[in-house]
Amino acid sequence: MGQRTLNIGATTGTPITVWLGPVALTILVVLLYFAPHLVNPGILFVVGMTLIQSVFALSWNLLFGYTGLPSFGHAGFYAIGAYFTGAALRYDFQLHFLVTLVIAGLLGALVALAIGVVALKRLTGIFLAVLTVALTEALGKIIGFSPALGEQDGLGNIPRPIMDFGLFTVDLTHGDDYYRFLVVAVVAIVAGLWWVVHSRLGRAFRAVRDDADRARFVGIDVLRYRVYSFMISGGTAALAGALSAPLTRIVTLDQVNWLASTQPILNSLLGGFTSFWGPIVGSVAFSTINYWTRSFPGLSEMMVGGILVVVILVAPTGIVGMLGKLRDRFTKKGDKA
Amino acid sequence: MMLSQAVFVLFNGLASGMAFFLVAAGLTWVFGILKLLNLAHGAFFMLGAYIAYTIGGSWPESVWAFLGVALLSAMAVGALGYLTDLIVLKRLRGVDYHYALIATFGLMLFCEGVAKAIWGTDYFAVMPPPEVDRAIVIGGSYISLYTIFVIGLGILTFLVLEAIMHRTWAGKIMRAVSNDPWMSGTVGINVPMVLMLSVIASFALAGFAGGILVPNQALSTHVGASFVLFAFLAVVIGGLGSIRGTFIACIMLGIVESANATFLSQYGGIAIYVLLAVFLVWKPNGLFPAQGAT
Repeated sequence: MGQRTLNIGATTGTPITVWLGPVALTILVVLLYFAPHLVNPGILFVVGMTLIQSVFALSWNLLFGYTGLPSFGHAGFYAIGAYFTGAALRYDFQLHFLVTLVIAGLLGALVALAIGVVALKRLTGIFLAVLTVALTEALGKIIGFSPALGEQDGLGNIPRPIMDFGLFTVDLTHGDDYYRFLVVAVVAIVAGLWWVVHSRLGRAFRAVRDDADRARFVGIDVLRYRVYSFMISGGTAALAGALSAPLTRIVTLDQVNWLASTQPILNSLLGGFTSFWGPIVGSVAFSTINYWTRSFPGLSEMMVGGILVVVILVAPTGIVGMLGKLRDRFTKKGDKA
Repeated sequence: MMLSQAVFVLFNGLASGMAFFLVAAGLTWVFGILKLLNLAHGAFFMLGAYIAYTIGGSWPESVWAFLGVALLSAMAVGALGYLTDLIVLKRLRGVDYHYALIATFGLMLFCEGVAKAIWGTDYFAVMPPPEVDRAIVIGGSYISLYTIFVIGLGILTFLVLEAIMHRTWAGKIMRAVSNDPWMSGTVGINVPMVLMLSVIASFALAGFAGGILVPNQALSTHVGASFVLFAFLAVVIGGLGSIRGTFIACIMLGIVESANATFLSQYGGIAIYVLLAVFLVWKPNGLFPAQGAT
């Protein structure tokens, strides 16, 4: 935590760095929005998946990094969103796409509420992690037995939506158009999460994480805030899944097991779970490594795994923390000169 | 008919239970002493299986050759354990358990990458040794001899570990270190040495399990996943770090899985997770709760 205050001190100290963040962010968002004109469709798909993985990783890190609860079954929430949206579009539920997304998020939050009320009172740490693994595997099995959800083959041929706003319609059937919608949606979700983390709610989460007993003494209902965090996290993960269904146009069981659940964990830890932006940085880093090493079997696992081990041994705060340390050293040198 | 079905369920359950236990033994051992949940355990199990395939090939000549190969791969993985301890695990002692989880997770990925780079992504097969590669009839159902072989080895491993832990001087020292490392140090126990030897023993157990269980399924880099998930579940149900609890939990999981596959085959594989969820909520600290478990 000392690391973080140090960083904030460094940013407020130099006027350029105060503006650097938001400006860079704006440029990045604009570049992302116009990406269909800049890169080929193959890379565009990778970028789209990276955006979704970023939201997924952020949702996991809200739970772990901000509330101190590890979930090893986040793929379950993702799958709830993905399968619901996939089914809604394929079987044409006559819902507005935005409504579909909202319902998907609410479904995730409701499931999280049910798990939270039953389990969070008794379980934290490793036991919670194992419970979430078990529930996700069970969900995967149930989907595998449901003919309407494609059983083992997955739900394919998902059409992309057309949104009707009365006065005008937004047609997302073309891949580029859906991608632009995705960029807007992801920016909105990230902004929402940023607000949650920096609000009173986010401070309560951190108090619960740092010391549940002390938080209880000052009058924070620990269980209630844990459940809130679980709900927001589950809902966001379901949203990430919901956004993925029209992009990939197929939802499969590969997304509903414990190995899929490790993806957001990996991304968050790689980028740094003590920073809000860490999970996004991690998702980008992971996608990049995966893309460049795709023709050498095993190399991407070796690199990602190796980086993760080195990061923990050398800089437990991930890529973002490591950059912060570098910057501090750099600025300190600047002060001396 | 009912009897043969019951025998079948019981035998299959015991067989998968003992397979889980062979993997879980090292996991629970190292947790009991180091309080380290080693997520990379499955990856080293997989390396053990690959090493056994490389040394012994697809057609083991006899049971003794098969066991010898498994012991060799136990030694090889034990040596890897020494290296891993030296480079990674030693530095994780005394840090928050989240960091240890992350580091072992990274280690797991790294090992999978190494395995893919060395052995490729093709599938290999290893046959059971010829003496046990056939079935016998018990109570009207066919039981593979290899299954009985695995059950026997699982029980043997359990008895040996229990004996070491509770009947020998070394076991006493390990329990002392597990309970209070600082105090053990002040009475003259070489704590770092004990911890290092425990890690090596745990890795060797993973390598041995890899060598023994490789005929159970096709050998690929995913070979760890199914066993290891159950091994983790068993370790948690048993109460982290308790060998006895893990042993009982493995048998429970195995029999539930096998009963599910026999009587509710259209919903195969689901009972185990329902059982686990109910169990966790009902008995959150496991069958034999360990002291100081997080």
